[in-house]
Amino acid sequence: MSNFCNRLTYHQWLALIAVVLGLFAFVAGDPYSGSRITIDTKELASIVEGKVDHVTALELADWIIQEKTDYRLIDLRTEDEYSEYHIPTAECVALPDLMELPLQRTENIVLYSEGGIHSAQAWMLLAARGFVHSKMLLGGFEAWQDSVLFPTLPENPAPSELAAIEKLKSVSAHFGGAPQTGGQAISEVKRTITAPKNTTPTATGKPSGGKKKKEGC
Amino acid sequence: MNAPFFKFGAFNEEISLVIAVLIGVGFGFFLERAGFGNGRKLAAQFYGYDLTVFKVMFSAIVTAMLGLFYLSWIGYVDLSLVYVSPTYLVPQILGGLLLGVGFAIGGYCPGTSCVSAATGRYDGFVYLIGIVFGIFVFGEMFSIMESLYSATPMGSITLPQLFGVSYGMIVMLVVFMAVGGFIFAAWAEKKFAHLRPEEQ
Repeated sequence: MSNFCNRLTYHQWLALIAVVLGLFAFVAGDPYSGSRITIDTKELASIVEGKVDHVTALELADWIIQEKTDYRLIDLRTEDEYSEYHIPTAECVALPDLMELPLQRTENIVLYSEGGIHSAQAWMLLAARGFVHSKMLLGGFEAWQDSVLFPTLPENPAPSELAAIEKLKSVSAHFGGAPQTGGQAISEVKRTITAPKNTTPTATGKPSGGKKKKEGC
Repeated sequence: MNAPFFKFGAFNEEISLVIAVLIGVGFGFFLERAGFGNGRKLAAQFYGYDLTVFKVMFSAIVTAMLGLFYLSWIGYVDLSLVYVSPTYLVPQILGGLLLGVGFAIGGYCPGTSCVSAATGRYDGFVYLIGIVFGIFVFGEMFSIMESLYSATPMGSITLPQLFGVSYGMIVMLVVFMAVGGFIFAAWAEKKFAHLRPEEQ
């Protein structure tokens, strides 16, 4: 035995170690089982504190306009609400189905519900499963309506605000909305939103875009 | 602290870019030390008399694989947070063939051409110019090639998922494949030694 060991070169020793580790790997089992995450409350608190757990409606609107494909937008509202109107690129997933969805933890997941409570609960459920990088749409679908589709513009804007207002108008127009000025009856206009329904941009480069949307519904 | 460090928020995106540069420099340094700045040495593997590239690359794969497997197994690395690039079978086979042909003709792959250029070799610089030109042509032709580019998508699939076997089995098989490859390389280097040019 010692004779055999002495005859081995440095490279052969390394190869032998690799073979032993390879053989042990075969019986060692699944490497993923060693990486289960339990809730780290301090970590979650720091995520919330750092405000990296959410995106604003305008940030999301920018992503959609830029045709970004590195996020996955999930609509947690009911199927009827989804078919009536949904944010472009969103897929409809009911909260109980979210746990069954084959999500990847490297994905940039953005959740939204009507007001934001459901999405916050879903965010916590995902966080418990280790999806600590998922995000919520701040203020939910209501914020999307108020900030993107029907933003309220000041009646007498200061010159420094003009550029921002123009951008807001073009973002709103992109999604078929209409900015409001102070006096208009917003609620009446809101009822007429139908245009954005079919404005889902085609996901460029990623063939999964269209297919995914049907999964949840 | 657990890895991957970036995914667990150990540093931000800007720092991650700095770290990427440092890792890149380190990678280039070791490629150069292994002799990969020399196009003749790289092309030699296609003649069979010097399979250093094959051996170094396979050693790197086995080392990284065993390292990741065991670090993950003891719970230090969260493998599910490691990015797996998606597979597009047909375009990636075509791309692999194209890269292989370019490698055999010119003596460099993209990474080693950077190493070669960094050591001041003219052929490395020519390769780098070719890479930039190729990127430009690809960008301009993208609309024509888009259907091929995204053909046969298989998602972020790994070998254990594809074959329905355990991760450990794939690790073991790859180690065996590597050891077999090293034995073959030793045999080939003797068999084709007569092809080695005098100046090497």
